[in-house]
Amino acid sequence: MIEVRGLRKRFGDVVAVDEVSFEARNGEVTALLGENGAGKTTTLRSIYGLIQPDAGEVRVDGVDGIAQPLSARMGLGVLSEARGLYPRLTPREHMRYFAHLQGLGRAETETRCDDLVDLLGMQDFADRRAAGLSHGENTKVALARALLHDPANILLDEPTTGLDVMSTRAVRELIVQLRARGKCVVFSSHVMQEVAAVSDRIVVVSAGRVVASGTPAELRRSTGLDDLEDVFVALAGSGGAQE
Amino acid sequence: MKNLVAALSVVLRKELVDGLRDRRSLISVLAPLALLPLMLFVAMNQASESVERARQITVPVIGAEHARELTGWLDQQAGIELEQGPDQPREAVRNGDVDFVLVIPEDFGKRFAGSEIAEVEIILEGMDRSLDRAVSRVRDLIRTYGQGIADRRLVVRGISPEVARPVRVETIELATQQQRTARLINFMPLILVMGIFVGGLQVAIDSTAGERERGSLEPLLVIPVPRLSIIGGKWLAATAFSLASAVLTAALMGVGLEYSPLQRLGLRLELDGGVMALMVAAIVPLAFSVTALQMVVATLARSYKEAQSYVSFLMLLPMLPLALTMNSPIEDASWRLLVPVLAQQQLIQDAIGGEGVALVDFVVTVLVAAAFAGVCLWLTSDLFRRERIVFGR
Repeated sequence: MIEVRGLRKRFGDVVAVDEVSFEARNGEVTALLGENGAGKTTTLRSIYGLIQPDAGEVRVDGVDGIAQPLSARMGLGVLSEARGLYPRLTPREHMRYFAHLQGLGRAETETRCDDLVDLLGMQDFADRRAAGLSHGENTKVALARALLHDPANILLDEPTTGLDVMSTRAVRELIVQLRARGKCVVFSSHVMQEVAAVSDRIVVVSAGRVVASGTPAELRRSTGLDDLEDVFVALAGSGGAQE
Repeated sequence: MKNLVAALSVVLRKELVDGLRDRRSLISVLAPLALLPLMLFVAMNQASESVERARQITVPVIGAEHARELTGWLDQQAGIELEQGPDQPREAVRNGDVDFVLVIPEDFGKRFAGSEIAEVEIILEGMDRSLDRAVSRVRDLIRTYGQGIADRRLVVRGISPEVARPVRVETIELATQQQRTARLINFMPLILVMGIFVGGLQVAIDSTAGERERGSLEPLLVIPVPRLSIIGGKWLAATAFSLASAVLTAALMGVGLEYSPLQRLGLRLELDGGVMALMVAAIVPLAFSVTALQMVVATLARSYKEAQSYVSFLMLLPMLPLALTMNSPIEDASWRLLVPVLAQQQLIQDAIGGEGVALVDFVVTVLVAAAFAGVCLWLTSDLFRRERIVFGR
């Protein structure tokens, strides 16, 4: 469960996030939908505590994410915008590194690694050095290392950007599986179809503000439009007009 | 606390493995180090060659017949042998056929007999510094000969030779042979310090600027462990590489000196295991400060490349004071112990000089190093908290 209230962040003269509030519940997929530069990444970074917001409140399972970032992060699994790997380590070594840092024991680490290798279909490259991995394989490793400690809340920043069809499908399936296991999943995207396919709740962000939020059905109803893409264009346009 | 240490050791292990797999960088550090013994050997050999040349000198003479007494006397001196010089002395010296030529002009005998100043010439090119000792030895001998003649002339005139020597200079060297040796190999601290700087550089950069440039820093910082354990692990890994490189440098230097003709230079260098261990021990605290400094600087840089040039530039820092003191002995000043690098130079000097290293001195350098590293790590940790640094804004 993640609660964001009145989040505000300014970089110099630019207000990147302006009074963003939303709630992401357990067992649901919440999408942050918005064009590039709308403030999605800044919002996510504020939740996992690498950005200190100027105002607002973040709670992860009730823990104050701004006052106690370490405790809040314990309950988070994050696929950040930056998802680089160590070229000289294998995917399995990446997973072990992150698992041990998360405090997992040796035996537990190995089972979790095996599970994730199976879950994400990484058998072919799990023991090859990361230097030669494709973009899709790279994303899978980054996802695996975010999920090792089986977090209750999962933040995914543009998880499918740049992926081919097969990898995109795998990521979508993963999101659905996580929801089925009662996780609170928040992901950001600018791709309409994807958001429509997996999310229970959509938070439309434009120019740092939440311009609409609700279930896909609610959004269609409130705008009177059938196609989600039209909905998005209508909402994003109104957000831009406010500036 | 337990978490902090546990996470630190995880980071340390990962960075060590990662660093060891970075073959290219390892080779770029090891290759120049491997040349070290060779360089030492060549340098020492050149020095000893110049001493050797002064010990056994063959002097090509032209016009020996004009000064039979002088040449005869010279010929009797130990290590001096006269031979007939070339007809065209200047040509021969210029062509390198002979190193130098002693020319005695025709009027030498006449002027000598008339108690006028009788001139002889030494013709040399003046480029080969290794000849300096030999030439000045010949010059000194001729001067001594002249002094003897002068004394005889004064005595004949009933004047004590002492009248013509109002002042006499007596030089007393107090430095022991070991100390003189230590001074000659003043470059040793510099090389060891270079070993320290070069060894940890790669890991210090790769684990900070490199981590950010690869985009692996953000995922790492998301993990709920104290930043200090992440930075501490990276720091200790860099320090381990730095120390390994210093030990290797010391060992290679030992090998180089082992095969160098130190005896012939009148030097006695006892680089047994004990002295070596002392030298390495003296340098250990420095490694911890240097890698911490490299990490702050690399973290400040905007890119990997920029970090590399900043950190390489750091290497000039110790070279400056060391180069300045290279040709003069180090006065024992206690303030030196408070300055990293100079402190280590002092301790190494003590170790080689055979005086041993005072425990108090060593403890002082450890404390200074700890404080220095502490400040650097704190700064790095603070930088890792800044959005500008983490996200490269």
